[in-house]
Amino acid sequence: MSKKSRVMNVLQYVVLTILSIISIFPFFWMIIAATNKSVDVTKGTMVPGTYLLENIKNLMGSDLQYLTAFKNSLIIAVVTTALAMVVSSAAGYAFEVYKSKARDRVFSIVLLSMMVPFAALMVPLFRLFSKFNNIPVLKWIGLNSTGSVIIIAVATAFLIFFFRQNTKTFPRELIEASRIDGLGEFKIFTKIYMPTMKSTYAAAVVVTFMASWNNYLWPLIALQSEEKRTLPLVISAMGSSYTPDYGMIMTAVVIATLPTAIIFFIMQKQFVAGMTGSVKG
Amino acid sequence: MKLKRVFAVLLASTMVMGMTACGGSGDTKGTSDQKEGTTATSEKSTEEAAQEAGEGDALTVWAWDEAFNIKAVEVAKEIYAKTNPDVKIDVVTMAQDDIVTKLNTSLSSGSYEGLPDIVLIEDYKAQGYLTSYLDEFADLSDIMNPADFAGYKTAVNEIDGKTYGIPFDSGVAATFYRTDYIEQAGYTQEDMQNLTWDKYIEIGKAVKEKCGVDMCTLDPSDIGQIRMMMQSAGAWYSGDDGKVTIADNQGLKDAITTYKALVESGCTKQISGWDPFVGAFNNGEVASVVTGCWIAPSVQKAEDQSGKWAVAPFPKMDANAESVNASSIGGGGWYVLKNVGNEAAAKDFLKNTFASNVDLMNQLAADITLVSTMNAAAEAENYKKGNDFFGGQEIFSDFATWTSEVPSVNYGMNTYVLEDLMTEAVQAIVSGADMDSTLKDYQAQAEAATAQ
Repeated sequence: MSKKSRVMNVLQYVVLTILSIISIFPFFWMIIAATNKSVDVTKGTMVPGTYLLENIKNLMGSDLQYLTAFKNSLIIAVVTTALAMVVSSAAGYAFEVYKSKARDRVFSIVLLSMMVPFAALMVPLFRLFSKFNNIPVLKWIGLNSTGSVIIIAVATAFLIFFFRQNTKTFPRELIEASRIDGLGEFKIFTKIYMPTMKSTYAAAVVVTFMASWNNYLWPLIALQSEEKRTLPLVISAMGSSYTPDYGMIMTAVVIATLPTAIIFFIMQKQFVAGMTGSVKG
Repeated sequence: MKLKRVFAVLLASTMVMGMTACGGSGDTKGTSDQKEGTTATSEKSTEEAAQEAGEGDALTVWAWDEAFNIKAVEVAKEIYAKTNPDVKIDVVTMAQDDIVTKLNTSLSSGSYEGLPDIVLIEDYKAQGYLTSYLDEFADLSDIMNPADFAGYKTAVNEIDGKTYGIPFDSGVAATFYRTDYIEQAGYTQEDMQNLTWDKYIEIGKAVKEKCGVDMCTLDPSDIGQIRMMMQSAGAWYSGDDGKVTIADNQGLKDAITTYKALVESGCTKQISGWDPFVGAFNNGEVASVVTGCWIAPSVQKAEDQSGKWAVAPFPKMDANAESVNASSIGGGGWYVLKNVGNEAAAKDFLKNTFASNVDLMNQLAADITLVSTMNAAAEAENYKKGNDFFGGQEIFSDFATWTSEVPSVNYGMNTYVLEDLMTEAVQAIVSGADMDSTLKDYQAQAEAATAQ
């Protein structure tokens, strides 16, 4: 190794170290704060305290129904992710594999829907969903139901686009070979496509789960009663005190971060492969 | 072949779905007719039940801060339950911004699904809501007497002489200060009474020199100090008619001049955000905090500083003859949404609790250190108790006295919009821009932003 490249190497590591400290610091602070009393947090303590159990006790003892919210968030995120994988991947697959005249026009309409900011859709969506409450079957997705939060995230333009892009790397020959072997279209999708595109699915799972887990605005508007609320709403309610209990809030936040962190670490390898796959395509 | 079969199944299922949907809605008509019949009878029976044992409604209340507002409703609920055991009251904690978002979405779409019967609204936002959605709020004139409350609070809840809100917590401004630092700097607690800002800065400089700590914190992104100074002179960003009055507003100009002097005095600590603000006085890095009385619980969190604090009135501005030693920051009131369906029950609850009940105020003073804006509360037992943390001072009685002296101003509809603009304007002026021309520019911007 020449001297020059060694210097470059050192420089690279210095920059990377600084960047990782910057990105890790908030998490570090969060965990430290979760183990301290509120007063010590505002005083700027940087050493782990012994107050974690007390914070957890306060959190569970508060009227905010943290555990209910955790359960709600988990149900919503899991169901949304599962449904979104089936629906959006089928849509993305179909957009790429089947040819029709209207295909690209329809697809650009789908993409256009990405450009409309959610704030503009809020009021009309709210009205629509409030009407659902009076219709027998649709009331499962009406206002204040878990379904209202799930249904809205099942088919998103981003996921459809993501799956279509990745389907471009899926070898056409496989489909044709299967057809010749007499496999039906549906089976081709479930038996050939799905297993081959594992890493794409993994990336999509991570993205969808995180988006659903952290979603704030729509659940805020759609969910009315306390026992239906999701985690971000409860954490937001905690933070709006005149004298916030930072120790307790940070404990709540640490617990709330765990599921996404776990999902990410489990799927890390596939996630990276899936993301780079989409760039290649 | 298989594909066709799948399609057929899909088509059939969509048709079935559609049919059930249609059939369903037809069914509901039938059942709703039936229901009407049954509800008519059940209404009768509930009415009878209500007559027998009070009422059977379920009320929903939205508020923020579990340790403060929510606690207050819970206590009110207990008191109310003694006379009305059958009324169910559901109290929901929600962030203030979340309440604003939800109210806006629901009210502007005309859907009352899930809306609360009673909602807490901050004073600065009240006029905006009342002006935009006057038809949604119940007239509370018949359940409360404005004369029972501090004048500056009822001014916020009124439209055309009708009262739409029950005033709740006081945001009366006060000077919390460290007696040990002040004495070390060569001043006495006597000097802190009838304080003016010039004197405050003078003391601040002495504190900085002799104790090495700053007098107070300043947050460039939060100009609450200017708001308080302005209100102490009976001025606001908007005039009595609600129109923007940024240019040629003597109260505002004096406030900015005072603020600038404070910045330039060199005895303040610059901070950003709530954490460092609380941290500064909990850590003993500043000798005083000038803000609303609601900061008292945060001050008392630093148990090691017990006995070292005292509270003095808000400083007045030397240059402004109208300025008094009293002002306010924050505070809110209870409002009833009348189209949600339980107007009468909601009004009855408020009437017997927040609108009149001195015992409730007395208990809340002890439970959540609430400073009530109800005039009669000043006579309550807990208001006359000394507080050891503040050297035995009867802080509640002081807060109550100052509350009655706060000048009334019309907060208008757009306090927060104007405040955002003014934060920039103040920074420009503090760093050297000409005051009159800057304010004139921002007057034009503010008029555009509020579409006047």
